[in-house]
Order: sequence, then C-alpha cells, then structure tokens
Amino acid sequence: MGIAATECLLEMYDERRSLEDYQKGVPRWCTGCGDNAILAAVQRLLRDEGLRPEKTVFVSGIGCSSRFPHYLNTYGFHGIHGRALPVAEGVKMARPDLTVFVNTGDGDCLSIGAAHWIHAIRYNMNLTVFLHDNQIYGLTKMQASPTSPIGTKSNTTPRGSYLDALNPLTVTLGVSNVSFVAQAVDWIPESLYQIVRAAYEHKGLSFVRILQRCPEWLPKSLEPWMQDPDKIQLLHHENALRVSDQLAMVYKNHRKHDPLDMLDALDIASDLERIPVGILYQNKDVPCYEDTRHSDVLRSDDLVRHGLEHEFDKYAV
Amino acid sequence: MEAHHHAHAAFHLTGRLADEHLTAIEGHGLVPALFSGYRDLTELRYDYPLVLVEAPIEGRFVESLSGVMDEVLAHVAGGSNEDRIRMHVLRLESGVRALVATGATIMLSEAWETVAKELATIDDGIADSLAYARMFLAVDGMLVDCGQSTASQVLTHAWNVAYAGRAASFADTMARLTVGLVEILEADFENSAEARSAENLKASFGSGPMDQFDFDAMSRILTDARPPMTLPGSRRHRIEQLVEVLRSQQFYADPATGGAAPYSFVFHHCVDALAAFRDRLTAAVEVTKALAVGSLEVSGLYDEAKHDQLFASFGETGLDPSDLALFPDYLVLLNVADMTAEELEQLSQVLSSGLPFKVLVQTDDVIEPAAIGEGISALALASHRLTSMAMGLGDVYVLQTTSSHVLRVRDEVTGSLAHHGPALISVFSGTGAEAPGIPPYLVSSAALEARVFPQFVYDPSAGADWASRFSVADNPQAEADWPIHEFCYEDAQNQSVCEKVPFTLVDFVSFDRRYVGHFADVPVDAWSPALVNVDAIVGRSSRADVDQLPCLLMAADDGTLHKVIVDESVIREARRCRSMWSSIQELGGIHNSHADRLLAAAEAEWQANMQEQLAAMMPAAVVAVETTEIVDGRAEAEPSPAEADSAPESTRNPDEPYIETPRCSTCNECTQINGKMFAYNENQQAYIADLKAGTYAQLVEAAESCQVSVIHPGKPWDANEPGLEDLLKRAEVFI
Repeated sequence: MGIAATECLLEMYDERRSLEDYQKGVPRWCTGCGDNAILAAVQRLLRDEGLRPEKTVFVSGIGCSSRFPHYLNTYGFHGIHGRALPVAEGVKMARPDLTVFVNTGDGDCLSIGAAHWIHAIRYNMNLTVFLHDNQIYGLTKMQASPTSPIGTKSNTTPRGSYLDALNPLTVTLGVSNVSFVAQAVDWIPESLYQIVRAAYEHKGLSFVRILQRCPEWLPKSLEPWMQDPDKIQLLHHENALRVSDQLAMVYKNHRKHDPLDMLDALDIASDLERIPVGILYQNKDVPCYEDTRHSDVLRSDDLVRHGLEHEFDKYAV
Repeated sequence: MEAHHHAHAAFHLTGRLADEHLTAIEGHGLVPALFSGYRDLTELRYDYPLVLVEAPIEGRFVESLSGVMDEVLAHVAGGSNEDRIRMHVLRLESGVRALVATGATIMLSEAWETVAKELATIDDGIADSLAYARMFLAVDGMLVDCGQSTASQVLTHAWNVAYAGRAASFADTMARLTVGLVEILEADFENSAEARSAENLKASFGSGPMDQFDFDAMSRILTDARPPMTLPGSRRHRIEQLVEVLRSQQFYADPATGGAAPYSFVFHHCVDALAAFRDRLTAAVEVTKALAVGSLEVSGLYDEAKHDQLFASFGETGLDPSDLALFPDYLVLLNVADMTAEELEQLSQVLSSGLPFKVLVQTDDVIEPAAIGEGISALALASHRLTSMAMGLGDVYVLQTTSSHVLRVRDEVTGSLAHHGPALISVFSGTGAEAPGIPPYLVSSAALEARVFPQFVYDPSAGADWASRFSVADNPQAEADWPIHEFCYEDAQNQSVCEKVPFTLVDFVSFDRRYVGHFADVPVDAWSPALVNVDAIVGRSSRADVDQLPCLLMAADDGTLHKVIVDESVIREARRCRSMWSSIQELGGIHNSHADRLLAAAEAEWQANMQEQLAAMMPAAVVAVETTEIVDGRAEAEPSPAEADSAPESTRNPDEPYIETPRCSTCNECTQINGKMFAYNENQQAYIADLKAGTYAQLVEAAESCQVSVIHPGKPWDANEPGLEDLLKRAEVFI
C-alpha cells in the first residue's frame, strides 16, 4: 500500500549530496597506495547514486584495505580477520533495506577467510564485494599472501615464495550460484568507476577483484602492466560495459565478451600475460539467498513471543 | 386476399381491431418465437444461479453454478466411472437450480448436501458418486437466482471482497507502521535510567539464581554507559500521537485490538453517503497524514524544519484520489422507481464530485410513463439520461448491463470498484415487466438483445480517448442493428423450415401485457408475402407505403406458430430505439460517421496522388536520378557544419603544463608534494589548481612520482628559477 502523499514529499526533498558528504577522516594509507583510488571511485558512486549514509554499511575484515569503513561517513563494521563476509551477510539478512558493501584484502579473503568467500559466492546475497588485491600482507609489513607471485621475497618467504599464486577469478567462477565477477585495476579510474557501479547495480553478490599497487612492499609487482597499456585487455559487450573513446585512445587491446559465457570467462580469467579489465561473468537470474528465505510476516511482539514460547516448550520438563 | 390486406393495413396504421381476419393476442400466451425453447429455465444449464464466491481467487468473486460444476466434472474426467458420476452431478446441479428457483436463500455447500440427500434416497450409486465429486468442490458461497435483488447482491458482494482486500492491506500497513513507531519509543526507553535500573534489569532476567548476580552493579555500569542522545520531546510527542491516530481509526475494524466499531459504507440514498463522506473527511485526512508522517518517521526521514509546515496544512484542499484509495469506497444502492428529483440532483453531485462513490442504479421496468400525454411512453429513458450525463463528466466509470449478463461483466464490476473515482453501474433487472410466466432472466436478456438496454462500459482509466475508454463490443452482434438468429420450425406440410429472425424492440414489448393492444394475430389462412419481418420496416426511415406490413413470429403455449401484425406506434419506438443504439455504436467506434468520412477523404486523396504520380512517373524518374547524383557529389566535396564541428581539436601546446585528470588514480603523490599547486576535483582526481603556488622543480618531481604518468610539466613559468637546465632535461620525457 503506497502512500501517495509521502512519495510526493520525498520527491520534493530529494537531497543532493556532494562527495565531501561521504568523506570522513584522512586516509592513513601510504602515498601512492591503490586503496586511495578505490576509495575515490566508491565515494563517487555513493554521491552519484545518492545513497543515504544512514542506509549504507561498509563491512571489512583486517588489513590495509579493511580500514576502508573508517574513511566513509556511513555505517561501518571493522570486523575480524577473514570474517567480513559472514558479518555482512548477517547485516543483510537482518536489515535487507540496507545497502551493504564489503572491503576485504587478498590475505583477509583468500587465506583465513577462504571458506567464507566460497560460501558467500554460493549464497549469492545482494552484497557488493571489493577484493583489494595488492598481492601482499601490507599492514603487518610484508608477508606473502595467497596471490603473491611465485618467487616473492617476503618476511615469511625470505628465499622467495614457492607456490603459484591463487587465481581468485577462476576460483570464484567455479563456485555454484556465482552471479557477478569482474576485475578492475586501480590505475585506470574510468573503468574502475564503471565496474564499481556495475557491481553495485547488480542484484546478487558482485565480486570485484581490484588489482592495486602497494608502493611500500611490492612497488614493482604490477609495473609491467602499468607501463604497457597493451597488456591491459578491456572487456566489452552490449550487455556489459562499453569502452569509451577516451579509454580506447590509451588502451587499444579490446576483447568482446558476453558476460553470460562462462567458458569464455574462464579462458579470460586464466590468462596470466594480460590483465583483463571488465565484467567476466554476470547472470542476473541467480536468486538471492535472502529472497528465497524472506518472509513478509511482520515480526510483532506477539509473533516473537509465540515463537519463543513454542521453542522453549520443546525443552519443558 | 385483398380484403385481408386492407384489414391488416388498417390495424397497422390505427391499431384498431375491426375485422374478423385479425384477433387480439391477449390471453393466448404468445411469446416471441425465439423464446419458444426457453419456457422452463430450471431444465437448462445457463449462467444462473450464481455463486457469490467466498474468499475468491484472482477476482473471480462470482461464478455460475454450471461453471462450478464443470470444474468438479473436469476433476472426475478420465476415471472409470466418469459417465456415471457426470450424470449424477448434472442431476444434482439441476436439483440445486430448482431449489434456488423456489426462492431458497442457501449456500452452495448446503444446497449440495440437501439435494444429495434427496437423490441418495433413490439410489446408493448416486450417493457414492456425489460423495466422490464433493471432494472436488473447491468454492462455496451464497446462491443467487436472477431476480429483483440480484444486482445489489452481486455488487455488494464484489464491494465486500474489495473491502476485505483493502482492509487486509490497510491492516498490514498500519501494523508495520505501528510496530516501527513503537520500536522507536522502545529504543529510546532502553536508553533511559529507568530501563537500566536494577529492578528492571532483574525483571528482564526471568527466573534462576538471581542472588548470584549483582544487578545494582550492572545498573551502575549500564547507566554510566548510556548514549548521550535521547528522543527529542517534540518527536516523542509526534510519534505518540501518530500511534494514537492509527489505533483509533474507524475506517476498518482492527482485528488486533477490536477498537471502535468501523463505519458503515453502504447507503440507500445519495444524501446519506455525501453526509457520511463529509463527516469522515477530517478523520480520513488525519489517518492519511498519520500514515505519511509515520512512514517518514520510521524511515528516519522526517525533518521538522521541512515537514512541520507542510503537514500543518495537509489535506486542506481534500485528499488525492490515490490517498482516498486507502479507504473503503462508498456504495450507494438506488432504484430508478424510487428516485425523486432531489435524489437525482444529489446523484449528479455524487457523480461529479470525483470522489470514490460507487452507485448502483437499478431499473426494473424500462417502460416509463411519460409526462406528456397518454399512450406515449419512454423506454429506459431514466437510465439513458443518467449514463449519458455520467459519461459526459469524463472521470466516472460507467457500466450498463442487465441482470442476465452480470456474470459476463465480472471484470468490469471489479474495474469499477478499483477505479479511483466515482462509478455508475446501471442494471436492468427485468422484474418490472408485466409478463406472467416469463422469468426476469429472459426479460432482462431480451432487453439487452433488443438494444432496449444495451451493454456498454466507459472506463476513464483505460486511456485518453473514447476509442480506449468506451466499448459496446460485448453486445450480441454489436455490428448489426439487431441481432439475427436462426429459427427453425415445422410447417403445415411437416417440413423443417429455417429462417433468419431478428430480435428487436418489437419482440421485447410483444410479451408485455401493457402492449398487447399493439399486436394482432393473423390467422394462418391470411398469411401472405406482404407480411415481412419487422426489421425490414424499421429499417426504412419513415412510413412509405403499406404494401408490406411488419409482422412478428410468435409461439403459443401449445407450440403453434403465429404471425402477429404490429401497429405503427410500436414501429416508431423501434426506430427511436435503433437510432439510440446507432449513437451508442458510433461512440463505440462502430459505423462511426466521423471516421467513415475521414477514411473516405483520405482514400480519395490517396487515389488522386497516385493518379498524379502515375501521370508524371517517366520524366520525374529521370530528374530524380540526376538530382541524387548532384547532391551526393556535393556532400562528398563539402563537409556539413556538424562534421566540421566534430573535427579533432588542435594539439595541446607542449609548453603548457597540464594533468590528464580523468586518468588520475588519486594516489596523493602530487598533493603530498604541494597541496596548493595540485588539488582534487569533485571526483577526487588531480588538476593543477595554482601553477604559481609552487616551483617548476615541484612540478617535475610530481611528474616523476606519478605512477600513472599523467602529469606533464611543460615549460617553467619563472625563468629565474635555479637549476632549470637540469629540470628541463628531466621533464623532457613527460612532454
């Protein structure tokens, strides 16, 4: 039952917020850190979509990237290591009216939080997840993470790491119920913003891996791709993103890719020579877990009381 | 034969029986020939009786008994005893129909049990069949036969269904809002010292080893840790008032609290409905305002500075139709026979108000005594006048039908109740006709067939024009002046004869005792080719000659066929009826004279153009080819102004310092070097804010630090800056 008068009044007072309205504090990240670019893109999204700060939540785990909620003038939950996703799922389940974002790093999500990551993809709740992947543990001063390239010398791997890096894209694409997988790089702001926006607009769990520089601990790791625009492959399709003229002037390596084509997505994600940038997979028909479990029954005091009594009665002696 | 014809013509012209060649039809029990198959309706499967379905699904608030039984039979289809069960269910249906025809007021389930019990005494097999079929009876509801109160019963039932839907929706909205508002108050209470007192904390723990726990200490800790914010007094007061308004509303019964008895919304006089609406308007405004403010409060969007003033004058100019749709509509049940001039005036006020009044105007008798002279009557003039007036208002949903067709306008009845504005439902019941032995169903059905009471719907929400809003498509053979049916009989030589027989206004009045004097029975030996179907005579614009006389086929109780001559006065009424039907047809887009004229003009114009083009085709073709070539050649030679505008812009001056702002990745390198020289724009991307706020050395350093190489230092603005030679060399790679 809509109340026409309220809708009119809301339209009358549709407040426009500036980017500054979403900013809070001065980021403590190092100069040159890719987190700054991600923060700028997300703040831009909040402003452009006019998201109400009191209806928006950023949930994070532990790590450099997980300081993200501190710099946004919205609700935030700086969680515990690897547990950003279950906290976010709980928030969304209890308050489906909130817009929930998740910021998690490569160590946070792909190592200690790997089980939560896999099951969050499978649950497909309506969350926007940003995987800040700088390929290193930065906050604890340089330990190898699951995505550190083989041979990375760090405090935990002084002779260089022995294992091939985990590929978060192929893993995510392989999980049941996956509905949105994209990749961005922090140094192409235009496409970063496009992808962040597409992820927000997708209903379901949007998993965005953002390759980001760590100027402090791995300053050279991504340099080959930053220096050679041809090693960046922009994905485009009429059902996904388009390459603007401005981007096309610098980045000339384009690939048309249907976001529903899983085999092609896996092929693209497996390419270690080039960095694909764009939407690898998007399926809008995968149901959200909270929708399948949603009950429209009003939780009145009486209902809660009866429910509790019913449960307690099971243990009555 | 000549003498017969003169006598027939004399009757036709004067309406006087002055000859033994003609006899009066009174007392012969004649009915229109097309009625001859429908003398006992209880033996037929047709729309009646209706079932007023309780808790209907998908708007199917009324069903026919036959339809319900067909659903039952569909479930037993394919079984080994299908034929036996089918036969027994149809016997039960016939029994139920007969039971309802006696005037019984009964539910379908009760009627089923009653008739099934009677039939079971005949045969145990019937009892088995019916007990099995009973499992598939999915609906129940009151059974209604076609009669005086059918229309009001059906409409009231539809209104009750709509009311129940709105009540459920309203209760849900209200419960959610109330819970949301109360939660705000409760959340505030939880922060209070009272809530965190030792007693309160202890009470919240239930039972157990309470002496093991220091509630005073707990109270001290929690009281000290109370958040500094409390609900402002004005907001608390507002929320408490909102809850009070919502809980005390009387528009719907409150299933949770009982509350005050709800208002009644069914009236039998417009004046009562208007008064009730006026009396309740303030309450409606208060409730609407409470719902609006409440939803803003629950969403946390209510801002006193903005909203207080607006809501202070809320509803002063009435309520929006979509807001009024939250409340029940006002149902007014009227009968044309009881309507005074005052009632008519109030009805016109009701319909022109734009408010959600749903008015049923029932007509029992279409033959209305005229104010001018004896013997002149009007057919359904009152309803015609009302529906015309209502459609003229533009925003009134108008539905006209007859009792016989109520089931077929089920969706339209639902539409009239869902319409956010007034609705007029005009129904002819057929109970006022003086036609002994002919059931109201047949009378009302005949009125619709004969165009005396045509069916139409005017739905203002269906579109902006008459073509979208108005429809007469559901009338039988709507394209024709009169519906034509095939009628077969056995002639004197025992041969089967079939002919096309129209059903006209003349047929409709022929079985009414008040009209018997206008008809004369022609003996079989006087039948002649000069006696023609009525529609042939009515189709003429006026009385031309008497070579042909209008005649009607009628059937007697004993099954014999009669030809009956009609007098001129009835033919005149039939012409008037046809004329009114033609007007309605035109509104409904059938034989529309404006459209026909435009179409003819467009066709003529198109033909003229084609002729001209054909005449000029050969030379024109040559010219066209040449012209195209010239135009194409010029297009290639000279770019259009638009193309010139989109030419690439001139290359940037390499001496001028700049930043490729859209490619900036917000890494803070440059702003750390000089926060005045470099600044971020509205998208947090860097640009040179003030070149002279820093040195060329800083510019070059920023270019070197920039990880995405978007800073171009250009040439120094201060030629006296020390170390320029070295700096220029370092800057070369960024130019």
